Amino acid sequence: MFLFALASGAAAGGAPTAPATFQSWNSSAPSSFTLDDLHGQPRDLQAFKGKVVLLHFFATWCEPCVAEIASLQRLTSIMRDQPLAVVAIDVAEIDLKVRAFFEKNPADFAVLLDRDRAIARSWKISALPSTVILDPGLSPRLFVEGDLDWSRPDIITTLKTLYPAGADAGGK
Amino acid sequence: MDRRTFIQGTAALTVSAGLPYKAFAQARAFAPKPGAWRTVDLVTRIEIDDPKGKMQAWVPLPSVNEADWFKSGETRWTGNAATVTRVRDPKYGAEMLHVIWQDDDISPVIEVTSRIQTRDRAIDLTKPDTSAALSDAERKLNLTGTDLIPVDGIVKQTADKIVADAKAGTDIEKARAIYEWVVENTARTAATRGCGIGDVAAMLKSGNLGGKCADLNALYVGLARAAGLPARDVYGLRVLPSQFGYKSLGAGSSNVTKAQHCRAEVYLTGFGWVPVDPADVRKVMLEEPPANLPITDPKVVAARKTLFGAWEGNWVAYNTAHDIALPGSKHPKLGFLMYPQAERASLLLDCLDPDRFRYTITAKEATAT
Repeated sequence: MFLFALASGAAAGGAPTAPATFQSWNSSAPSSFTLDDLHGQPRDLQAFKGKVVLLHFFATWCEPCVAEIASLQRLTSIMRDQPLAVVAIDVAEIDLKVRAFFEKNPADFAVLLDRDRAIARSWKISALPSTVILDPGLSPRLFVEGDLDWSRPDIITTLKTLYPAGADAGGK
Repeated sequence: MDRRTFIQGTAALTVSAGLPYKAFAQARAFAPKPGAWRTVDLVTRIEIDDPKGKMQAWVPLPSVNEADWFKSGETRWTGNAATVTRVRDPKYGAEMLHVIWQDDDISPVIEVTSRIQTRDRAIDLTKPDTSAALSDAERKLNLTGTDLIPVDGIVKQTADKIVADAKAGTDIEKARAIYEWVVENTARTAATRGCGIGDVAAMLKSGNLGGKCADLNALYVGLARAAGLPARDVYGLRVLPSQFGYKSLGAGSSNVTKAQHCRAEVYLTGFGWVPVDPADVRKVMLEEPPANLPITDPKVVAARKTLFGAWEGNWVAYNTAHDIALPGSKHPKLGFLMYPQAERASLLLDCLDPDRFRYTITAKEATAT
C-alpha cells in the first residue's frame, strides 16, 4: 500500500492547518537505493554519505510541495559548503512533467525519480510531502510529514545538531 | 498488423451532424430507464509534436460489453504508423490500440474511431430476480485489492465502521450505507488534475477525502470490496449531454477531450451489477449551476437518490482495469487506463496536458446506414 495524498498538515487551499513538526524516526529503513535523476543518470544514496541528508518525497501536483521546493532551494543556498544535502524524490510522475517543473523552478539539489513508488513504499511514506532526515551515516533520525519552511533559523539549528563531529556548524 | 502507409477506413457512417448537441436540457425528473439505444462514434486523434526517437502510443478502446446497457463495436483507424496492434489486457480484458511509428518519423499521427451503443440503466432494487450469478473468478477479481485500492488496513477498518454504524445487515444495506457515507464525507476538488489518482488508503489516512471521480468512486469500490461486496470502477468518457437537465453530468460539446469520467458498480445477489456513482453527486453539488449547491438542494437530492441503482447512457465505458501495463513501454503500470498515452524518445508524455501532448477526442451520435 502506498499513500499518495496530501499530508494532513498540508491541505491545499482551505483553512490554515497546524504546521508540520519533527518527529523521531522509529522504524527500520532501507540502507540504500538507486534512482535515476532528471537526466536519466542513476544516483545512489550512498554517494551522500558523510552529510546530513534531507530525503524529501514530493510530487509536482501537490500544491504544498511546490512551495516547499522553493524553501528547500533557499536552504541549499544558505547552507552551501555545509555538510548537508537535499535529495528530492518525485513520486510516481512521468519524467517529462518533473523535468518541465524544474525547468521553471531550477534547483541546485538532486532530484530523483521514484517512478513506480517503490522507494516511497520502502520508506513507508504515507503522505506527500514527507521528509526523512538522515545523519551523516545515512541513518534516519527525524521525520516530517507535511510542509516546512526549511530556511527558518530554528529548522537550520536542528539540522546542524546532526552534523558530523568536527564539522563547521557556524553557518552563514 | 503492419500499417506503414496511410490507412483509410471504409465503414459506412452517416452522422446526424449537430443534432446531439442541440439543447437537450429539458428539466425533467432524473430517472434514467432502459430505453432506446444510442450509437456514438468516438474519434481519438493523436499527433506527436516535435517527433524524435522511438515513438509509440496506446489508445484505450471501449471494451465493455453488457447486454443490458453497453455494446463495444468496431474500431477503425487511419494514420502513418509502422505497426498498429490491438492489445487485450489478460486480467481485465481492457483493450487498447498499440501504435508504433518508425523512429524519427517526421509527422506521426493516428486517428482511431470506435463505435459504441449505450443506453440508460436502472435496477429496480425492490425486486430481486434471478440475475446471473457471478463466477468464482469474477467474484475474486472484484473483491481483491489493487495497487492503489487495498482492501485491508485502514480501508477495511473504515468499511467495517460504516457498516456497523449503519447497522447494515444485508448486502444491499451495506452497499447503500457505503454509498451514503462516500456522498456525505467526500468532496469534489476542482483543482485535482484529471480525474484524480485513486489512492484510497492515502485519502483515508490523511483525512483528505477531496478529489474527483477516480478518487471518490475508487473509494467506494475499495470500501465495498473491503466489506465483502464485489465492486469495480468503470473508466470511461462522457460523450453526450444529459437529457435530464444536468449540465454537469453530460458532455458540453462534441469535443470530449477532457470529459473522462469513472463510474462504479457493485454486485448484489439478486440484482446483478448495480450502477453507483457517488462522485457524480458531489459533482452536481460543486458544478451544477448556480454551483456550490448544498446537499439539501433538490437537484442534489435527486441525483443522490438516482445514482444508487441507475445512470444515464450518455457515457462510453472503456474498461474496468487496474494496474495496466503499456506493452512495449518501460514505464511502470498505470493505475487505470482512461486517457490516451504516448511516448516520444521513449519518454511518456503527460496525458493530462492535451495541449502539449496533442490529442483530441470527439464524439458524434450517429445512425448506421
